[in-house]
Amino acid sequence: MNKDAQMRATINQKLIETGERERLKELLRAKLIECGWKDQLKAHCKDVIKEKGLEHVTVDDLVAEITPKGRALVPDSVKKELLQRIRTFLAQHASL
Amino acid sequence: MKMEDMSLSGLDNSKLEAIAHEIYTELVEDACLGLCFEVHRAVKCGYFFLDDTDPDSMKDFEIVDQPGVDIFGQVYNQWKNKECVCPNCSRSIAASRFAPHLEKCLGMGRNSSRIANRRIASSNNLNKSESDQEDNDDINDNDWSYGSEKKAPSRCRTQLARRSKSLKPKMYSNSAGINYETLGPEELRTLLTTQCGVISEHTKKMCTRSLRCPQHTDEQRRAVRVYLLGPSASLPEAEGGVENDSFEVAESQALMSRLQWDGSSDISPSDSASSKASECLWGTNNSESRKTKKKKPHLGLVSGAPGLGSSKKKKPKPPAPHTPSIYDDIN
Repeated sequence: MNKDAQMRATINQKLIETGERERLKELLRAKLIECGWKDQLKAHCKDVIKEKGLEHVTVDDLVAEITPKGRALVPDSVKKELLQRIRTFLAQHASL
Repeated sequence: MKMEDMSLSGLDNSKLEAIAHEIYTELVEDACLGLCFEVHRAVKCGYFFLDDTDPDSMKDFEIVDQPGVDIFGQVYNQWKNKECVCPNCSRSIAASRFAPHLEKCLGMGRNSSRIANRRIASSNNLNKSESDQEDNDDINDNDWSYGSEKKAPSRCRTQLARRSKSLKPKMYSNSAGINYETLGPEELRTLLTTQCGVISEHTKKMCTRSLRCPQHTDEQRRAVRVYLLGPSASLPEAEGGVENDSFEVAESQALMSRLQWDGSSDISPSDSASSKASECLWGTNNSESRKTKKKKPHLGLVSGAPGLGSSKKKKPKPPAPHTPSIYDDIN
């Protein structure tokens, strides 16, 4: 267990050090805007905000409402592409 | 480093896959969090709902995509919105005709200044040649770009043609000038006291402009008078009346005596007298009298020709003064 956590930490560090994490984030952002994910979520945000009232909305509320939906709404193609890139990264660094 | 190598190489595929999913989830949650921050900031700054409109108005301004209508759902009509309502007489006029209409309706612009000129001229009996001259100046102003002197006769004709188009559509439709061969001696004299009368060598027609028309010289005018009226006749204004107020009483008296003017009203060039006369003689209204004038060119000429220099008014109202009364006085 300890070893597993250590390993994850190591991989994360690698991701950040190499800049791959930033690249993946940027890729994901672009893809999600492209496929309309962002607009969908924004529309959902509007509903949430109207429901809660403009003044009483907090970031926590939004995150709690938005994250599950956001996760579900990511298109399969985007998900697959991103996973593929992560796997490639892992494979490269596992072989080192 | 050594430990890392070990750990990574020691992982099996399922573990790698789990880690990959974990990373992916993290990334997606990152994106969600970013969006949440963005939206939250927009809400708190108050610009989140700015691009929002209520669905009713969205429906109102929906883009229409159907054949035959534009994107606003309106039927395309070529003549729609091309009519203007005149603020003066509140008729709707095609946009292309609106400016000319306004000019006439409101009484501004060149045309109506000419009308005013004519009113002044007709109220002032003696100022015939002046108003005539002014009219001709206007015409010259209009046509100055037509160019050089050698086009002079055609200039006369184009002006006349244009005028006759609006004023008396069929009267001189064939040629603008006056065919002197069809005129009697009386008309000739009348004509030559009021008009330039120089005969064009191209069209064999007489110039219908004023006695001081710039297209022709005094020499030409004199020659024409000698030719048409005999050697006793000379250019009326050659006797020194070159000023604007040229028709002095004495001068016109001399002129009249020379031409043996009988002063009877039926062939006088006076506008009201002649139109009245023609109404008595030929019909009751103007159009009728104009029709008859068309058949009888010499009478139409008497009332219409002096007005050639003036503008397009429905009723042919030449700037010629009420000559008979003067002449009666004189005689």
